[in-house]
Amino acid sequence: MQSSAVGVWRLELRVTQRILTAAALDKLVAEWAKSGAVYAPVKVKDWTEFRRVSSLAEADLTQVNTKLSARGLLFPQCETMFRFDTSQPDRAEQAAEPGAQVILGVRPCDAAGIAVLDKFFAGQGETDTFYQRRREKTTLVGLTCSAPADTCFCSAVGGSPTGTRGLDLLLTDLGGKYLAEPVTDKGSALVKGLPEASAPDLAKKSELADKAAVAITERIDTRQLKGLLDAADSNPIWEELSLPCVNCGACTFVCPTCHCFDITDEMRKGRGARIRVWDTCQFCMYSQHASGHNPRQTHASRFRNRVMDKFKYTVDQVGEVSCVGCGRCIRECPAGIDIRETVERLVLVLAEQPADAMQTADCKVQKAK
Amino acid sequence: MSREDQLRKRAKELLAKKEVVLVLGYRAGKRPGSATPAFVTRPEDADGLIFDDRCGINLAAYLPRVKHRGRIGIVAKGCDSRSIVALLKEKQVDRGQLVILGVGCEGVKDNGRLSDSCTTCAYPNPVLCDEMIGEKVAEREPAPDPLADFEKLTPNQRWQALMDDVSRCIRCYACRQVCPNCYCPTCFVDANNPQWVGKTTAGSDNIMFHLMRAMHMAGRCVECGTCSRGCPMGIDLMKFNRKVAKVVKERFGAVAGMNPDEPPALAAFDPNDKQEFIR
Repeated sequence: MQSSAVGVWRLELRVTQRILTAAALDKLVAEWAKSGAVYAPVKVKDWTEFRRVSSLAEADLTQVNTKLSARGLLFPQCETMFRFDTSQPDRAEQAAEPGAQVILGVRPCDAAGIAVLDKFFAGQGETDTFYQRRREKTTLVGLTCSAPADTCFCSAVGGSPTGTRGLDLLLTDLGGKYLAEPVTDKGSALVKGLPEASAPDLAKKSELADKAAVAITERIDTRQLKGLLDAADSNPIWEELSLPCVNCGACTFVCPTCHCFDITDEMRKGRGARIRVWDTCQFCMYSQHASGHNPRQTHASRFRNRVMDKFKYTVDQVGEVSCVGCGRCIRECPAGIDIRETVERLVLVLAEQPADAMQTADCKVQKAK
Repeated sequence: MSREDQLRKRAKELLAKKEVVLVLGYRAGKRPGSATPAFVTRPEDADGLIFDDRCGINLAAYLPRVKHRGRIGIVAKGCDSRSIVALLKEKQVDRGQLVILGVGCEGVKDNGRLSDSCTTCAYPNPVLCDEMIGEKVAEREPAPDPLADFEKLTPNQRWQALMDDVSRCIRCYACRQVCPNCYCPTCFVDANNPQWVGKTTAGSDNIMFHLMRAMHMAGRCVECGTCSRGCPMGIDLMKFNRKVAKVVKERFGAVAGMNPDEPPALAAFDPNDKQEFIR
């Protein structure tokens, strides 16, 4: 992967950082809006949400972490795959091709989340057409976090408030102007011809970066955690940890990397559409079989699945933890569950127990057979 | 002795004497200003119990899930106690298996502000409890009817207002999952054979979910506001619940969660019930 230290270093040498005044950014936004859709965080009540904008003035780039992550702009909650008419069973009307879009103000954690989605939807093996064609037409313009929230922990899971992973261009607000750091050729093209950043500009950025880095105190040893989780399937700790969980889908729907969906046909008088909608492992119906059997019948097993998925299963599947530390699940959990605390408790309990002691009674029985 | 100390002491006693197997209360969360339900089974863990304005989630919602364990101690504010009454009425839990530790509540916080539902709370003290922890709190003057503006709207405008509200719904069902009234093994939205409600977040599917849920709350919702506080999308779900509770009070003179011996308003028939709407 290009995220190796050498790769990043080369990337930084190659690119020229530029300066973008607020007026220049405003002009760029207006320009992008002419050739496609521009989405940016917009203030809604007490929070911000990604909305379509036509000028910079509509955007609010001051708050960290929009209500929902940018994932919905690449993988919408509901998406029509095709329309059909049962009187013409051999024909299906394909969904319209998505247009070009620029997503402005993507925080580094969300961009890292998109990089994770890329692995599942546009990586090796199967490619998800619906995701892929949106992704190809999307330009991600990120924004450095200089004041992380009390729920932020990106640096504990391999990210950084100034991370560039997944982005095309990273902006850093230097007060009245932005430092623009191209990450991809697409990003370079966006700011081509703009004045180069001066040494004091670069110094200011690194000062902001240092400030943001120390604001995040959480540390998670994800490698140790993965090792512990490998043998923790039947541990009774899940029962304890899952007690406050009400098994709603809030954490998974606000998560930048969750990507499960359900497919459903909506039909009326012979005409209909095949639609895919977000699904979540927290719902009982998610794993319900047609036979009536449900392999994840209990609250604890569904709670376990989410934690395992973020810190073990995706490591097994695509080689990395799929939690990017945006903290939305902490912010939005109606029961006040904090994934950081869950992980701390897991490490504490699992690290103390030898692997053998971690099996519950019925697992031991199975082994004995 | 502070109220919190009293609570911890009492929880410890109940557990040590094996009068209960579990005390359902609150503990502080990692994030400053947050709290999360605590399931205390060992006397020594009772020291983590807290009670203050962080403790918004309605603990009665957990009773159907833990009742099989045995006798349970539960910390209850005014609204939680009314939800317990509602569960008793609907025979979801036995009175004999509960030790209700009542606490007076001065209102809980929602994103740093007094929760909207608390502004109209008429029952800050438990309506049913075995013992009070700390003193009862003074009853507050409820805020003017928050539905006044909504009710001034024309039917079309009201529809639009509700549609605007639910357009943000992501169908995570946090509102349902935190609700003590929602204990059905299979919710109508999860039923898929036949499927009652579409799974998309289109306006028609979302409003169908919320209106049906509101109807199911009629005569049962105690307006604790845990759904509104729990909604990750900040939808004003109390608008639905308040309206339904208001109608039930006007039509049947019933207030939910007050008396365990009275049947739920919509589960009882009285020949004197107003029925001029039947034409």
